[in-house]
Amino acid sequence: MIIDMPNTRTRDISHKIDELHEERGEAAIGRVLTLLIETDAEELEDALEVANAASREHPCRVIAVVPDHNPDLKACEDDSNLNAQVRFGADAGAGEIIILYPRNGLIEHPDTLVMPLLVADTPIVAWWPTNPPANPAQDPLGAMAGSRITDAMRSNNPEATVERLRRHWSPEDVDLSWTRVTVWRAMLASLLDQPPHLPITEVKVSGPADFLPSELLLAWLRLKLGVPVKYEVVEDAEAVTGVYFTREDGVVSLERPHEDHAVISFPGQTPQPISVPIRTLEDCLSEELRRIDLDQVYADVINTGWDLTHA
Amino acid sequence: MNDSITWTNPLRDPQDLRLPRIAGPCSLVIFGVTGDLAQKKLLPAVYDLANRGLLPPSFGLTGFARRDWSNEQFIEFVKKAVQEHCRTPFRESTWRNLAEGIRFVQGTFDDPAAFERLSETVQELDRDRGTRGNHAFYMSVPPRAFPTVSKQLSASGLSRSSEGAWRRVIIEKPFGHDLESAKELDRVVSEVFDPSSVFRIDHYIGKETVQNLLALRFANSMYEPIWNANYVDHVQITMAEDIGIGGRAGYYDGIGAARDVIQNHLLQLMALTAMEEPVSFSAADLTAEKTKVLSAVRLPKDLSAHTARGQYAAGWQGSHEVAGYLDEKGIDPSSTTETYAAIRLDVDTRRWAGVPFYLRTGKRLGKRVTEIAVVFKRAPHLPFESTAVRELGNNSIVIRVQPDEGVTMRFGAKVPGGSAFEVRDVSMDFSYGRSFTESSPEAYERLILDVLLGDPPLFPTTEEVNLSWKILDPIEQYWATLGQPQPYRSGTWGPAEADEMLANDGRHWRMP
Repeated sequence: MIIDMPNTRTRDISHKIDELHEERGEAAIGRVLTLLIETDAEELEDALEVANAASREHPCRVIAVVPDHNPDLKACEDDSNLNAQVRFGADAGAGEIIILYPRNGLIEHPDTLVMPLLVADTPIVAWWPTNPPANPAQDPLGAMAGSRITDAMRSNNPEATVERLRRHWSPEDVDLSWTRVTVWRAMLASLLDQPPHLPITEVKVSGPADFLPSELLLAWLRLKLGVPVKYEVVEDAEAVTGVYFTREDGVVSLERPHEDHAVISFPGQTPQPISVPIRTLEDCLSEELRRIDLDQVYADVINTGWDLTHA
Repeated sequence: MNDSITWTNPLRDPQDLRLPRIAGPCSLVIFGVTGDLAQKKLLPAVYDLANRGLLPPSFGLTGFARRDWSNEQFIEFVKKAVQEHCRTPFRESTWRNLAEGIRFVQGTFDDPAAFERLSETVQELDRDRGTRGNHAFYMSVPPRAFPTVSKQLSASGLSRSSEGAWRRVIIEKPFGHDLESAKELDRVVSEVFDPSSVFRIDHYIGKETVQNLLALRFANSMYEPIWNANYVDHVQITMAEDIGIGGRAGYYDGIGAARDVIQNHLLQLMALTAMEEPVSFSAADLTAEKTKVLSAVRLPKDLSAHTARGQYAAGWQGSHEVAGYLDEKGIDPSSTTETYAAIRLDVDTRRWAGVPFYLRTGKRLGKRVTEIAVVFKRAPHLPFESTAVRELGNNSIVIRVQPDEGVTMRFGAKVPGGSAFEVRDVSMDFSYGRSFTESSPEAYERLILDVLLGDPPLFPTTEEVNLSWKILDPIEQYWATLGQPQPYRSGTWGPAEADEMLANDGRHWRMP
């Protein structure tokens, strides 16, 4: 169910939601968090689809703020600065979606705009699907969130974005590129669990050029193993394609030349295939919503590890 | 040189909460792989684990059964079971990798040659797949087969692990049918396997349930102050099933509801509800507290007044007509096996002095439900007209174990408006499913993964099992002197005897 609410007020949106809950015999108390999404009209539908999927695991209220910089003046009433849309039921995953289109001066005050619509007494997570603010912790929406999710890889200028995010980094910030390598990290850790536990002398990672997940993976390995690391660019690759640990007995590797199919090799053993699907954005967002506490390992990687590999 | 003591994996960090734990190279051997449990739960759980990337690439799965199947036929069987019952989407690539490691061994439990073949198959997995001598044996078989299988595993050398490798055995309840048989079973199994390699599984109380209960009791400050005899009137622990014995006649007759359910599930739930705060949530510390409280359990003096048993008679289960227990296929028409059992237990500790724990379980009851209800004393003084609180019951906290795991609180609230002031019971409800996740892992996924990772499970140790039998044995002995259990109509909440049992104490059963 999609309800358009042009020229409206937050109070009316609140009423509308209560009314819909009552009609459907639901309660908002089952929502475990409020997910704030700040994005533009172009990215909105994709972001909502991802949020919908994630809400199946984490029933949440999604509030998307989409500033309307060029309002259609004919359709605007003078005393209103807000258009909105409310989605329920089949159109809203396991929760409800509120889309807010502020205009004029209201654009500058998104925090007080969403305040009356937050789920009471539950964590707030802010997510910027593409271009994050320069300083998420100081952003009006970011400041009210206990967890801030950025995705520098999908911003217009990933390199510059990463630099900005690193400069203003605060413990509640996490970038989805880090989440993208969780499966790789888990597999690599379990590779090293296998005896013989010989020291690693060198590490190589291969993947696409200027690929943030690879860089984070490399920084993590450099930080944890304390040995030289290098990166090999693979043309046309879509994600990390391989990690190679050099030891005195040979090379231990995890390779994923093509989507989904990975191969593990130990010196002197037959390589073993294993299925490692490329992570979707839904997977990543779900993982972030699962653990909204601080990630010390990411903090170390983004601060210390990054400097080691970018010296 | 033993590097496992000094070596720590540099990529593992206790602060790294994201990393899922993936099992190392290993294989799982399932005895009784053609059974219902294996088809509906175990095999799909193995696939789901593989699909979630939690199994090693070298994982091996060996089925052992009587059927005359080829490897290919068995793989087809597994595929069908997985496709019908898996929780995560069926992906051809995951399946292909898993299928590579699937083997079948045909044989019976009393055939040493079959175990020779099993031993060869497992060695072949070590060689071809690189399972490195790590093997878990899942006994999805009737308890009477445990000793035979254990001995065969021992004779064929399968139970012994080489250095640096492990062998583990998974046993499902019931663990014996009385104290003596439980000790005997333990003796047989521990002759073959080291106690730390024996995983006793009780899937009804999965790790999740135990941890939920621990979190509710010990992570919050509002329950602990009232969790004692000062405020609690009594506790009711119920596990009701709506099904009959189905195809389990051979197993069930002569065992009965108390041995099947009270001895393990209900006494475990009771121990978790009544125990003191453990010093940590490690398996050993939890066991210490559970053991303490189980050893403080006192049986009622008059067993005739404080226990009840029944047997379901024909009737209508909801909308279906069903047969009585004595008419079920494979049941002796003069069987005195109970399908309903209720007992009162007291806990001789300061915390629980004078607070009875009522445990009940049965088949063909009103609906399927497992719950722990902590029922509180009424307020010492009610400053209302007596008519105002006529409808007010006792406050209670109900911990729902299944289905729809969660917590309900019952308390009185004023009926709005009206000419007279009236207080009536209302419920406040929390549900894990609604608040957290719609797609949480099946209990068996977690169980199997814990075994493969070697995580000590939160399940009963030998000592707890023995203590539970000590509680139940006198009751069973008393019941053995009685004749036919009281019949109750299918679809009701049990025999009249059970209602009288609580009425004698001035209480009544909750309707779950």
